[in-house]
Amino acid sequence: MSEKETTAVTMKKRGQFKDIRRRFAKNKGAILGLGFIVILVVCALIPSVIAPYGFDDQQLSRRFQSPSWNHLFGTDEYGRDIFSRVVYGCRISLTLGLVSVTISCVLGIILGCISGYYGKVVDNVIMRIIDIMLSIPNILLAVSIVAALGTSFFNLMLAIGIGAVPGYARVVRASILSVKEQEYIEAARSNGASDWRIITRHIIPNCMAPIIVQATMSIASAVLSAAGMSFIGLGIMPPTPEWGSMLASGRAYIRDYWYVVTFPGLAIMLTVFSINLLGDGLRDALDPRLKS
Amino acid sequence: MSDKILEIKDLVVHYITDKTTVKAVNGISLSLERGESLGLVGETGAGKTTTALSVMQLIPDPPGKIMSGEILYEGQDLVSMEPTQKREIRGNHISMIFQDPMTALNPVLSVGDQIAEVVRLHQKISRAQASIKAQEMLELVGIPGERYAEYPHQFSGGMKQRVVIAIALACNPKLLIADEPTTALDVTIQDQVLDLIEKLMREFGTSLLLITHDLGVVAEICQKAAIMYAGEIVEYGTLKHIYEKTAHPYTVGLFGSVPNLTVDVDRLNPIKGLMPDPTDLPIGCPFAPRCPDVMPRCVASPVPVTEVESGHYVKCVKFLRSEAER
Repeated sequence: MSEKETTAVTMKKRGQFKDIRRRFAKNKGAILGLGFIVILVVCALIPSVIAPYGFDDQQLSRRFQSPSWNHLFGTDEYGRDIFSRVVYGCRISLTLGLVSVTISCVLGIILGCISGYYGKVVDNVIMRIIDIMLSIPNILLAVSIVAALGTSFFNLMLAIGIGAVPGYARVVRASILSVKEQEYIEAARSNGASDWRIITRHIIPNCMAPIIVQATMSIASAVLSAAGMSFIGLGIMPPTPEWGSMLASGRAYIRDYWYVVTFPGLAIMLTVFSINLLGDGLRDALDPRLKS
Repeated sequence: MSDKILEIKDLVVHYITDKTTVKAVNGISLSLERGESLGLVGETGAGKTTTALSVMQLIPDPPGKIMSGEILYEGQDLVSMEPTQKREIRGNHISMIFQDPMTALNPVLSVGDQIAEVVRLHQKISRAQASIKAQEMLELVGIPGERYAEYPHQFSGGMKQRVVIAIALACNPKLLIADEPTTALDVTIQDQVLDLIEKLMREFGTSLLLITHDLGVVAEICQKAAIMYAGEIVEYGTLKHIYEKTAHPYTVGLFGSVPNLTVDVDRLNPIKGLMPDPTDLPIGCPFAPRCPDVMPRCVASPVPVTEVESGHYVKCVKFLRSEAER
């Protein structure tokens, strides 16, 4: 009995994980994305080992040096090493992107599920609130949240996260509306499943594709909105290196010293790109229907 | 209590929208005994599926509404039951096989997990035990247990219907409702699936409410049959009553439209006309406009049910005994 028990469970586990891994490994783009993200995570974990200088080592005598072996990405207006600042910035920007996206994802999925599944009055109330939120410009919403709660890193992430909730709620609601009419949902109900179980086990897994796409896309906009917030002084305070604020402060010198904005910009772009690749790969690998 | 597992009394189900009211089921009564199988036959729109969904208490509300009547399962009224009690009964005591196996399985869960889920919903056992039970169910319906971790799209239609049957029977329900279980399958697979349902019914002592438009299927696995027309049961009795002592003109018409292998005919003999509009049913017999034996009495007022012989009920003016009733 126990032997059979273990075989049944391991068979199932191995079957699923092996398949997902195999399908993921086949996707070259996803592997590339994963590789770059691993590098970023390493940078975020041990920046002091990788960066040759500190993030706030100022030396005015070597300001605006162009990229060389000493300063890979050059130096900025205070003579700080841009490469080191980009490496240190990893931690802030990655945390910011992931946490704010998680906040908006979770809130958006909850709201979207409730309004899509229960419909009627609940749906109307939630969607009208969402409409109101959509009518407020994102940056204004974030500014008011930070202004109300006070300037801190967490409040910044919260503000950016809340601003992105309406997008998720609408995407989730739309896909739930189509999934909940499927016969297997009725079948699950005929088997005695509760609403909670139907939502978590049958509906959400079937709506994952648009959610993953939305999540990977919005990490980028989260990093950029944080830059905007830093720019008006409600976000990350200098000298903390954050890619968005590095872009904002280097903006004034873009005409003469291209490298001041290029490298932080490239970092954002590559991060977003690799997260998108990873997200696409995950979506395909997790969808059993695409198994070949 | 008697040995009746399911008793429907005067069930009326309407679908109410702003503009119209669709009278889907109009006062049907039937009963099903333990271990017995009943075929519910009728053409599209006769209210068969609505009846089945009422028993499961899964009528989409709105627009559907059970206007009156009782559905007794082992003497308890399902209509007035608490939602938690209903959930306890669904899947555990009464379960349902859906018409189209292609869409009745969740595409992102492995078939084994879907069977194990029902078991875990109703029995307090561990995940591992549930997956063993699921494997056993798979083997029982003739699918190797190794295919536990495979997904619905990797199975053929007939195999999927087997999985659906395995899910339905995983908790040994006392009553199985099969809503056209073979309609989406081809004839050879139909036969296999029916044999399987019959075999499992005998093994578990399950009662069956089989919904179909195929009189042949009913003849194969049912003991009793009820013929539905426009939300009413027009004839109800044992197979012998229905097939050999056919009474109601509609049932006669149904048999007339089935091809006969022994007689050479050029054309089938369909019932002329269409089913009445369920939003605007006539006062009298709904079949009167198409009936070959129509009498003035048919359209005048509702027709009562007559028991023409023990256990054989017909709802037709022709069989009313006293002149007074006519």
